[in-house]
Amino acid sequence: MALLLRTFARQGVCLSRQHYGVFYRHAAPMGTTAKEEMNKFWAKNNKLNRPMSPHLTIYNWSVPMVMSITFRGTGVGLSGAISVFALAALVLPGSYPHYLDLIHSLSVGPYLIGLAKFGLAFPVSFHTLNGIRHLWWDLGKGFRIPEVYRSGYTVIGLSIITSLAVAFLL
Amino acid sequence: MAAIVRLSSVFRRGVKPLFYQGTLLARPLVVPHNYQEQPHQLTARIHASQALNAGSGSKAASLHWTGERVVSILLLALGPAAYFSPCPAVDYSLAAALTLHGHWGIGQVLTDYVHGDAKIKMTNAGLFLLSTVTFAGLCYFNYNDVGLCKAIALLWSK
Repeated sequence: MALLLRTFARQGVCLSRQHYGVFYRHAAPMGTTAKEEMNKFWAKNNKLNRPMSPHLTIYNWSVPMVMSITFRGTGVGLSGAISVFALAALVLPGSYPHYLDLIHSLSVGPYLIGLAKFGLAFPVSFHTLNGIRHLWWDLGKGFRIPEVYRSGYTVIGLSIITSLAVAFLL
Repeated sequence: MAAIVRLSSVFRRGVKPLFYQGTLLARPLVVPHNYQEQPHQLTARIHASQALNAGSGSKAASLHWTGERVVSILLLALGPAAYFSPCPAVDYSLAAALTLHGHWGIGQVLTDYVHGDAKIKMTNAGLFLLSTVTFAGLCYFNYNDVGLCKAIALLWSK
């Protein structure tokens, strides 16, 4: 918006000086780039130590909102878990079956094992299914609000069902 | 204000490419019609640079976005592949696809929450290091240990 105003203002300046007949190499009005503007905003924001208005604490949570941040949370969590696994593979001395046997020897009850499997399966399942929902959106489909809620509930339902199936039946 | 909000939502969708720190073209392409009667030189100059702006600009961001979707779909296909036909090829493909998908995903998270040129550079460097180590570790596991497909199978057989 401000950029547009600056555009017209600068055009006006050029017009008034046209009788000089001077070539302006970059006569096209150019404001700052988006990146520069963003950096300026954040620099000023941090310098002035501005207090932040309440947002997460006051805005009513909705199903799409919660699903979105859960999608991000599962993504970051799964990525972290993979990195930890990879680091462990590089650093720890023994082999994978060795560490599995260690866990086996803890002799935890069957339901706790099932729970642990569910705990592993659910983030994968939810992230995968919501990821498919995102790809559907990327195709440009399913943006109407009822459709968003419908696909959302489908993802939640399918996630729970598949996680339970994988944890207790496989 | 609305323009800034829209611009930030564009960034969330992955306009910021992986290693490309170039500037985005936010130059206004609007030239009001009543200025067409200006002296020839000035009009030509404005039109020339306007044409330059319209044509130049890299496709890196757009290609990055498409790349993200391609890797996502590849990873989706690798799931059933790992289950129905586990083999070293699937193990290494899984390692690569998982690492790249995670790298780009965390990259988007950092783009959303980290601000300021220096901080962005530092966190992206840290992420690059983490992803490299992750990929190295997964490949090492595939080579020297049972491999990813077998590992998951063993874990689940408990």
